[in-house]
Amino acid sequence: MTMEEMKNEAETNSMVSMTLYAVMYPVFNELERINLSAAQTLRAAFIKAERENPGLTQDIIMKILEKKNVQINFTESLLRMAADDVEEFMIDRPEQEFQDLNEKARALKHILSKIPDEINDRVRFLQTIKDIASAIKELLDTVNNVIKKYQYQNRRALEHQKKEFVKYSKSFSDTLKTYFKDGKAINVFISANRLIHQTNLILQTFKTVA
Amino acid sequence: MENEPGIVSPFKRVFLKGEKGRDKKAQEKATERRALHTFSLSQPDHRIDPDILLNDYIEKEVKYLGQLTSVPGYLNPSSRTEVLQLIDNARKSHQLAGQLTSEQDAVVSLSAYNIKLVWRDGEDIILRVPIHDIAAVSYIRDDSLHLVVIKTAQDLGGSPCPSSCPDLNKSQTLSSLSESGAVLVEVCCLLVLAVDNKAAAEELCLLLSQVFQIVYTESTIDFLDRAIFDGATTPTRHLSLYSDDSSSKVDVKEAFDAEASTFPFQVSMNAEENSPSASTPASPQTKTASEGELSTTAAELLQDYMTTLRTKLSSQEIQQFATLLHEYRNGSSIHEFCINLRQLYGDSRKFLLLGLRPFIPEKDSQHFENFLETIGVKDGRGIITDSFGRYRRTASSASDSNGNGAAGGSAASDEGQEASEGDEWDRMITDISNDIEALGCSMDQEGVTP
Repeated sequence: MTMEEMKNEAETNSMVSMTLYAVMYPVFNELERINLSAAQTLRAAFIKAERENPGLTQDIIMKILEKKNVQINFTESLLRMAADDVEEFMIDRPEQEFQDLNEKARALKHILSKIPDEINDRVRFLQTIKDIASAIKELLDTVNNVIKKYQYQNRRALEHQKKEFVKYSKSFSDTLKTYFKDGKAINVFISANRLIHQTNLILQTFKTVA
Repeated sequence: MENEPGIVSPFKRVFLKGEKGRDKKAQEKATERRALHTFSLSQPDHRIDPDILLNDYIEKEVKYLGQLTSVPGYLNPSSRTEVLQLIDNARKSHQLAGQLTSEQDAVVSLSAYNIKLVWRDGEDIILRVPIHDIAAVSYIRDDSLHLVVIKTAQDLGGSPCPSSCPDLNKSQTLSSLSESGAVLVEVCCLLVLAVDNKAAAEELCLLLSQVFQIVYTESTIDFLDRAIFDGATTPTRHLSLYSDDSSSKVDVKEAFDAEASTFPFQVSMNAEENSPSASTPASPQTKTASEGELSTTAAELLQDYMTTLRTKLSSQEIQQFATLLHEYRNGSSIHEFCINLRQLYGDSRKFLLLGLRPFIPEKDSQHFENFLETIGVKDGRGIITDSFGRYRRTASSASDSNGNGAAGGSAASDEGQEASEGDEWDRMITDISNDIEALGCSMDQEGVTP
């Protein structure tokens, strides 16, 4: 994948599109058991619509919630849901390094999704942050190992995605520092969601390039 | 005589005069004492602006009863019975002040870095305890006495006594106990303070609690930053492989802002650059890309390290360092290098050894890491160190990972690759040595003192 393609991909898979795979994909999976054809049609339609209009899925869901008068914190709920594996992003190579990549990504997403449960208890939240730090380090180590071992011709895309992940990790750290001053948890949730999205993009990039 | 009005017993007169004198003296003392550096705290949880604890300090008046040393580390600070038993015994044996008088008046100064105790009058320092040495704080109300007991790490230098107490009996140590057959255990100290009332005790405990929160929060964020930096700056390529990708470790490092440069010693760069790599034949283009990447990366690390050396070592010490580095590069063992450096830096500057990591070749890295561990220097600082300690670079973990790049190479080419990488590192280290020597000479000329 060239840089240009990566950029387009990034725009297409921007943060707002996270709602599509974090919220709607599990719904489609459930629907497939009832009506396979309808589920697949809906899935394809949503994917196409989201690609053309990033953020459309989130808007639809917000409207549904509003209509049904459901009072929830959408960002927090999204974070709680975002830990689930997205089949489209999982790397299906059998080699241990790629399985490690899947596993480390899953571990990081899982611990990030626990933030809403831990953030109100300072001691537990600090432990969660340490766990997040360990998970980030382990994921980056695995990414480095795979890049180094396989020495892809198109490593530029992988390096770029790694760089983006690091950038959002740093942003997450800065958000935490601000949180400990102003106490606004919502910003931590937003930043955590972004980091989960970047984690998924790393998997997607490796899946494409590998 | 005593009952006759207007006539006062001479004894009473003397006594009353003495009392009045003492009262007057106490009053004079009170008016002489300076005002405490204090702030109003928000109620009911006595919250204080964290900036005050980080950039300023707060003082509270206490009475210093004393410090118990060689207390078994398993003492439960939440157990009123256990703690009071120790205190009672200590008071009986005059290790702690018995009666509370103005002679125990002290001031506790609290910040995010330490608690400091000074005498109220004269302001002589009693002791200072860094925050990371504090294990627990307890409040015990014993009838009218409101005690705040702080459990701390054992201070090897011992502690001074309050003026009203005799010297501590140093023979009551756990080593003498062990002679009688008891098992040696970890020990701690108990700092025993008294305050006026429950509110004052709760206030002091809550202030310390906030200090702990600040310190542990800062350390945790530190840990996160270091983990990100470490993962980001681990290289992803072998030097000799062709690539037109200019985005490298340097680019990734640039994703960090200047904050990352506050950790010049946290760079745990893998030294795989000088390890045998895949056998793609070298080309001038490759060599240039490799040299460029290595030079840029090593130059940045060199810059960081030299900046720090300049601030931490004298010119003579810098020259000594250059000599040791030169000897190491010319064949002296890594063991000798480590020992000599440790001697040069001393205890207070042993952390400088961390910054040498990028310059230690892979073959010596394991010994170097082990050495760092034996002298108590790890990646981090303070309480998070152990957790982060597991992220040492693994020796040769990637140096044998040739992956799918093996085809097309020849043995001669491999040796050529190794030689060129080794030459590159030799050149860089020689440059470092020369630069450091030059730094030492220039400092001599400038007359700079550390």
